Amino acid sequence: MSSDAIGTGFSADPSELRATHEVEHPAGIGPYRLAWRRLRRNRIALAFGALFVVLVLLCLLAPVYASEIAHTGPNVNHITDQVHVGGKLKDVVSLEGVPIGPTWHGRFFLGADSNGRDVAVRLLYGGRNSLEVGAVATLITIILATILGTVAGFFRGWVDGIIARVLDVIWAYPVILLGVALGVALAVGGLNLGVFKLQGNSLMVPAAIIGFVYVPYVAKPIRAQVLGLREKEFVDAARTQGLSPLRIMVEEILPNVASTIIVFVPLIVANSILTEAGLSYLGAGVQPPNPSWGTMIGDGIRLIPSAIHLTIVPGLMLVLTILGINVFGDGVRDALDPRAKVRIER
Amino acid sequence: MIAAGLLLAFSAVAFGKAHTSATPTINYVEGTAPDYLDPQLGYTTQAWEVHWLTNIGLYTYAHANGQAGTKLIPGIAKAQPHVSADGKTYTVQVRSGLKYSDGTPVKAEDFAYSIERAIKLGWGGKSFYTGYIVGADAFDKGKAKSISGIKTSGSTITIKLTTAYGAFENVLALPPSGFVPSGTAMKNLSSSPPPGFGPYKIDKVVPNKSFSVDLNPNYTPIAGVPKGKANISVKIAATTQTEAESVLNNSADVFDWGDQVPPSLLSQVKAKAASRYKLEPTISTFYFFMNTQTKPFNNQLAREAVNYAIDRRAISRLNGGNFIPTCWFLPDGMVGHTNAKCPYGDPNKAPQLAKAKALVKQAGLVGTPVTVWGQDRSPRKEFVDYYAGVLKSLGFKVTEKIISSAQYWATIGNAKTPNVQTGFADWNQDFPHPADFYFLAESKSIQPLNNENFSMIKDSYIDKTVARLGKYGGSKLSSVAGSWAKLEQYTAKKAYYANYGQQEVPLFTSSKIDFGKVIFTPVYGTDWSSLSVK
Repeated sequence: MSSDAIGTGFSADPSELRATHEVEHPAGIGPYRLAWRRLRRNRIALAFGALFVVLVLLCLLAPVYASEIAHTGPNVNHITDQVHVGGKLKDVVSLEGVPIGPTWHGRFFLGADSNGRDVAVRLLYGGRNSLEVGAVATLITIILATILGTVAGFFRGWVDGIIARVLDVIWAYPVILLGVALGVALAVGGLNLGVFKLQGNSLMVPAAIIGFVYVPYVAKPIRAQVLGLREKEFVDAARTQGLSPLRIMVEEILPNVASTIIVFVPLIVANSILTEAGLSYLGAGVQPPNPSWGTMIGDGIRLIPSAIHLTIVPGLMLVLTILGINVFGDGVRDALDPRAKVRIER
Repeated sequence: MIAAGLLLAFSAVAFGKAHTSATPTINYVEGTAPDYLDPQLGYTTQAWEVHWLTNIGLYTYAHANGQAGTKLIPGIAKAQPHVSADGKTYTVQVRSGLKYSDGTPVKAEDFAYSIERAIKLGWGGKSFYTGYIVGADAFDKGKAKSISGIKTSGSTITIKLTTAYGAFENVLALPPSGFVPSGTAMKNLSSSPPPGFGPYKIDKVVPNKSFSVDLNPNYTPIAGVPKGKANISVKIAATTQTEAESVLNNSADVFDWGDQVPPSLLSQVKAKAASRYKLEPTISTFYFFMNTQTKPFNNQLAREAVNYAIDRRAISRLNGGNFIPTCWFLPDGMVGHTNAKCPYGDPNKAPQLAKAKALVKQAGLVGTPVTVWGQDRSPRKEFVDYYAGVLKSLGFKVTEKIISSAQYWATIGNAKTPNVQTGFADWNQDFPHPADFYFLAESKSIQPLNNENFSMIKDSYIDKTVARLGKYGGSKLSSVAGSWAKLEQYTAKKAYYANYGQQEVPLFTSSKIDFGKVIFTPVYGTDWSSLSVK
């Protein structure tokens, strides 16, 4: 296992070492089952994982909330409408342009934004968009990074030289700066790579950008691990048996880097959601009128003194979601490899 | 002898200090710095509100509130120009004995030099010169060393035009037509602006942070242009929030009229500073353009539907209530503005959405893709969010494109940009003449780059009418007001635009300022020369 290579704590007493090994690797239990056992013991990680699941479910139920409770869509303006609050009829948006705060009723439960749109509805739809972008971006990152990292590490030589230098170039740019540059450029004209076409306002544009910019952060550690694995005896044995490089990579190498990839997934999801929020806040992510937590915070900034709920509510959702993924992700990492330290350095 | 000299010097310094301290200083805050402090480059309200006081040209505007403030008065010129019968030759006499702020005498030759400098430096509105003055275009293209259409003889200036242009007197009153001494460097002098003739001079410039507009000791008052009463210290605020707060709590004196008091502070301002806050209309129009050359807005029914559907009261709320809802292109206060009944219903009442939907259906345009363009700047982004919602409710398949404010005009004005179908636009007058608005609707304004006729209007009636009425300017302008109003009704019926508002701006000062005496001109906003301390 790869964790053997990372191990640091050796005991001088062989019997003690054997005892420790037996506790960590009881006989007859596979590594993933063992990890699940460890994860189940980590109550905090499970609690935050459950929090994340609840938030995801809430966001998935956005259409139900919109149609059955709020009776409005995420992009429907109610600027000149009025709503009953505490027996009084109130403007959704005042004549001076200040939107109504939380009513704690079905309609405008968390208030309205400056266009008179229901904040609660937009919050849930925004969450869907943020999570969708985060999930797709993570998928792109993991797939590209796994392919590039494995190929570079396995073949070494000029293949590694080219891939590693390209990754270095992407790595050299600050994520947000690169994301804003790509986001602004693609927001106007969209993305047209022949077969692969994206409209400028498609959610897949920020997902593709974020997925692309995080590739080096995952590909490099995978490459480093593959460089070590390719020298192991089981790989030599596979070569001797005449297996093709593709089969060796898929059947021998990949299963051994799987735990690293799994550990990276929650980290990349969290970072992707945060980056999406940052890009959307700067106008380079999710395009209006589609909501996302980032665009909602950006839209609410100018009204902070009079309608602070416009920034607080999406901000809080963002914090809870990231906290949920990160703490759960740490638990998964500890469960898979208690001695490894994986984090994304930016 | 030495002691006497020192005593004299000390007295002079002491007297000088006493004299300086007698002139009050007013603290002016702006959310946006002037684009240029060089008079031949400035092209924003923040620049022009300064330059019309520091660099007067042959003509200027009366320092008066309301309609009276649109009256052209002689500046460096002795009197109104003599215009030839064909409207192509202007003869102007220049006053004698005037001095620039640095003491240099003002000469008639400086006029041609100043215009050449504006062209050479590439002022954004240079087409006002190159499009009308004989030889100005050749000078711009480097084919001539000077503008052949401007001749100076003694104190007489003769200007020949390629075509009669009624608004040319207004062009002569533009701040970039303001005089600077011949020989002034042909480069951007914003960090150390050149001297000018006027009651004020620009001083102590810290780019994008602060500058001073101090009383000009060499100013010889001319009729209609009073001496100022205080030095003005201008600071650029980080946000309009801090800008408004500083005036509200009296730590600054004047809020720039080019900015809007944030909605979050508006109720406080109205409650605590009611005696020093009011709204003033600007000569501006805000509208959604609709590209008449492509589907769906090449169909008049679709354009009419938009005009019926938009709720102008709603957009006013998005603008903090600072809009006068309207459906006319020419704003109130501009010659040609009509008070006739709006063809699409009362703009102060609910829109006719059902009728609008029926029109789109009748035109067979339900489901047509429409791309809506807007700026990322608030509240303009909110206008477009709202507009996109309206178009969607009419049955169009809407895509919204919100781009950086800095890139917006160049992007939608570029013929190569795809799907520029509809979106946000506005116009603030360069000078009080309807031709300054209607050039946006002339077919000759359609250009491959920096196009301003966003609706791509090609209407021979508009072209001919603007060409005919455009010859009337100055005192003759009011004689054709009815014809402009008729054109206005024609344009509204064709629904080339969806006009929704005329902007109102805040006149807001600290309690230190004598608010009742502040003049707000429709051309350059707050008249700094009227600012005084109680």
